[in-house]
Amino acid sequence: MSTIGIIANPASGKDIRRLVAHASVFDNNEKTNILQRILLALDAIGVDQAFIMPDYYGLGPRALDGIRLSRLQVEMLDMPTTGTDRDSTEAAARLRAMEVGAILVLGGDGTNRVVAKGCGDVPIVPISTGTNNVFPSMVEGTVAGLAAGVVAMKVVDVNRVSYRAKRLEVYVDHELIDIALVDVVTSSDLWIGTRALWNPSQLREVVLARAEPGCIGLSSLGSCFQALGAREEQGMHLRLGPNGVQVLAPLGPGLVTRVGVQAHRLIAVGEEVRLQPGAGTLALDGEREIEIYGQPEISVRLTQDGPRVVDICQCITEAASLGFFCGSPIQKL
Amino acid sequence: MSTRVIQFREAINEALRLEMRRDPTVILMGEDISGGAKTHLEEKGTEAWGGDLGVTKGLAIEFGRERVRDTPISESAFIGAAVGAASTGLRPVVELMFVDFFGVCMDQIFNQGGKLRYMFGGKAKVPMVIRTLIGAGFRAAAQHSAVLYSVFAHMPGLKCVVPSTPYNAKGLLIAAIRDDDPVMYFEHLVLLDTTGPVPEGEYIIPLGKAEIARPGKDATVVAIGRMRLFAMQAADELAKEGIDVEVVDPLSISPLDESTILESVKKTRRLVVVDEDNPRCSVANDIVTLAAQQAFDYLDAPPQTVTAPHTPVPFSPVLEDAYIPSPAKIAAAVRAVVA
Amino acid sequence: MAELSKDKLRWIYERMRLIREFEDRTAQLFAAGKIPGFVHLYAGEEAIAVGVCALLTDADYITSTHRGHGHCIAKGVDVREMMAELYGKATGSCKGKGGSMHIADVEKGMLGANGIVGAGGPLACGSALMAKVKGTDQVTVCFFGDGAAEQGTMHESMNLASIWKLPVIFVCENNGYAQTTPAHYHCAAKDIADRATAYNMPGFVVDGTDVFAVYEAANEAIARARRGEGPTLLECKAFRYYGHFQGDNMSYFSEEEIAANRARDPIEKFKKRVLERGLMTEQELAEIDAWAKKEVDEAVKFAEESPYPALEEVYTDVYVSYP
Repeated sequence: MSTIGIIANPASGKDIRRLVAHASVFDNNEKTNILQRILLALDAIGVDQAFIMPDYYGLGPRALDGIRLSRLQVEMLDMPTTGTDRDSTEAAARLRAMEVGAILVLGGDGTNRVVAKGCGDVPIVPISTGTNNVFPSMVEGTVAGLAAGVVAMKVVDVNRVSYRAKRLEVYVDHELIDIALVDVVTSSDLWIGTRALWNPSQLREVVLARAEPGCIGLSSLGSCFQALGAREEQGMHLRLGPNGVQVLAPLGPGLVTRVGVQAHRLIAVGEEVRLQPGAGTLALDGEREIEIYGQPEISVRLTQDGPRVVDICQCITEAASLGFFCGSPIQKL
Repeated sequence: MSTRVIQFREAINEALRLEMRRDPTVILMGEDISGGAKTHLEEKGTEAWGGDLGVTKGLAIEFGRERVRDTPISESAFIGAAVGAASTGLRPVVELMFVDFFGVCMDQIFNQGGKLRYMFGGKAKVPMVIRTLIGAGFRAAAQHSAVLYSVFAHMPGLKCVVPSTPYNAKGLLIAAIRDDDPVMYFEHLVLLDTTGPVPEGEYIIPLGKAEIARPGKDATVVAIGRMRLFAMQAADELAKEGIDVEVVDPLSISPLDESTILESVKKTRRLVVVDEDNPRCSVANDIVTLAAQQAFDYLDAPPQTVTAPHTPVPFSPVLEDAYIPSPAKIAAAVRAVVA
Repeated sequence: MAELSKDKLRWIYERMRLIREFEDRTAQLFAAGKIPGFVHLYAGEEAIAVGVCALLTDADYITSTHRGHGHCIAKGVDVREMMAELYGKATGSCKGKGGSMHIADVEKGMLGANGIVGAGGPLACGSALMAKVKGTDQVTVCFFGDGAAEQGTMHESMNLASIWKLPVIFVCENNGYAQTTPAHYHCAAKDIADRATAYNMPGFVVDGTDVFAVYEAANEAIARARRGEGPTLLECKAFRYYGHFQGDNMSYFSEEEIAANRARDPIEKFKKRVLERGLMTEQELAEIDAWAKKEVDEAVKFAEESPYPALEEVYTDVYVSYP
């Protein structure tokens, strides 16, 4: 019995970056279409069952409304919804308890962050639904569905086609309060507000799990000093300020701006970075999430306890090399 | 002021031009009123169209696209925008291509434009004009030929003007633009080609003032818009029979110059109302009611109406011709009241 | 990322509290039979009107909805005149001729609550067009609900505002229901902001119960409009405490929904955060609470003591002149 979980976030891809940067709206009907393509792929390769997180928009039912599946049984997870990011964590935890073979995640860095809080060791297949993400890949849903399917059907050895993501643990007064998968940033903003970060003058410190030259956001800023991929056992700590080195970085789509970097250094897995006091808000994976009151001690620890992430290309390549898509042994020319 | 003979459409164009020169807050909006916006034509400082019937031709060239705006086919949006602009300091003149299209934007006309002032307790004014084409005779069938001004005259808050000659078309439009209330200005398709003497400069024909188009003593014919021309033809015909007809053109149907009509009726003691609109709940019947209520004792015969039938406008030329009131029908009605 | 001065924070709390007090009192007065007609109450959505209007001046315009009391108060319309208007008194904002659904104050830039769902869009294009033609930097905010989002007028208006680069900020107050019909039924897109792409304007979603988020979002959208770059569609997710109109039994709300809504009360959220930050004190907040109550007490007293309009008033204000 092969089973798949699907967590699709209807709220992703429609924050203020549509205005302050030039990001595109990622509309719900496109998410529905992606979901349909995933389900068709799962059905085509013979996955038995898929469970979809319920959401305020009804992406799951809408996707099912437009397609015919021959084998795949699809159910909505039976869980209460709050319309907040807690739903994704809850759904991930439930899918983990149900021991699904893989979880497809449709969303951005933020969606994957909250899924990571609940999914445990279940491999995830992140699909980007937005223009400024580091963690999920911009990949066609059909292909992602195929990859998730072959993992869930145990066609391939998941350990060979996935990697363990890094994770940034955020401690406030020594208590673990949250995690991030890409970056933790302190900002002088007093309020979470519209969540996004776009004004470099308000950014104070950055801790990166990844410094990706091919991505948008603060991760790319770090890559100006040293590129750090998802599988490298290091992170980076940067202290920003107007009198630092002025680094030109793509903070958002269409938003290439100078950011003053006073200091930067690499950090090792297991290392804990203590952040300077006095910040107003803490941003996790690109969004202001936590308002900081008073002068608590804030530290960030880089670990390798992030979710297991399927490398889609590697996974499909492996499955193909095993002859999975041929149905019979491959004839050589 | 020197006077020339020009077309009805030119008289309207001239009124718009003079008012736009005089008052920078006057702007125009409508579908294809200039035409070719945002195309190569605009770069050349020319236009493609100048309105479906050429009424607004050249205005975009003189005043620019900021003040003369081709609109998308979104009557609610641009007529509503005229209401919003009027209540905040502009004097928009908008074109509803055909009156038959009012169904797609009536809320903005009567619920917003017509009611704002009242709902706000007099703390707003809505100085705007909606120009719209009316009338049968172009073989344009049921959705591009009606008159329907009675619908608007019914609605408090709107003023309704129906010009009938190039001269009054110009003077009424200038008055309508300067008026502080929303004014519906109904242009009859067939009249646009007609010509007449029009003075060159600015002049006003006050709203709510009827005109005695032809004095007479035997019968009053109240004729609206194009029907004035038919009434005049009928009057010429009847003169040969010794019947001296007084033709009254109300020019505005809201406000309606009741006293001029009543005076005429009291003098001639006979009334025929000619109206191209459909008869139920119409201006024609309103005028008959006026006479019945306020000049009953003066009437020597039951008032008559000559109107379109209670049908949509038919397409086939023979049917459309039968639909429109004719000089012959008017003459027959007058003969009936004087008999 | 917009700075909020102490005075502005105070103003925000005053306005939100005044709206809540006004609406709660209106509900009571309506139940007591003192207010005729219908009232549609804004309680729960305070952060939207206040967060947006905090960035406007009297020269800027807003268009409103049938649920307009909050917009009026946020735009600075006198609450005594508003209450008198609800009572149908001669001293009302509209001399008692408009009532709850038509309160307006053009001098304050408030172009009227509106009884027609979706009618504000074209009007907003109009006042924005005025600013564009006259070359001023005035902006117009068009408040509309999720129900209105399905009206053709809104689609037409957003298209028109976009092609003409009009300084309009379309603020969708998505409280989840078009009267009693839920958005997931009435709206094919569900997130109204999704539609912005089709109108070639930025569109995005913010938490309409967080006044700081609304303020920050509106600040950017208004700045864009003032720069002449055109309209923005800002969707604020919110809820309402009361029914569509007063007297609606609200059977379409589930218990869980009501509890969840209470937990994100915009006023409580604001209070908690400014207190935590030490930006305002309990005492300051309590003083404002008392002030708002007194304002509404006085408004009710003013309304009750005011005369009804003279009967001749039926006939006036239809036209500026009508011979």
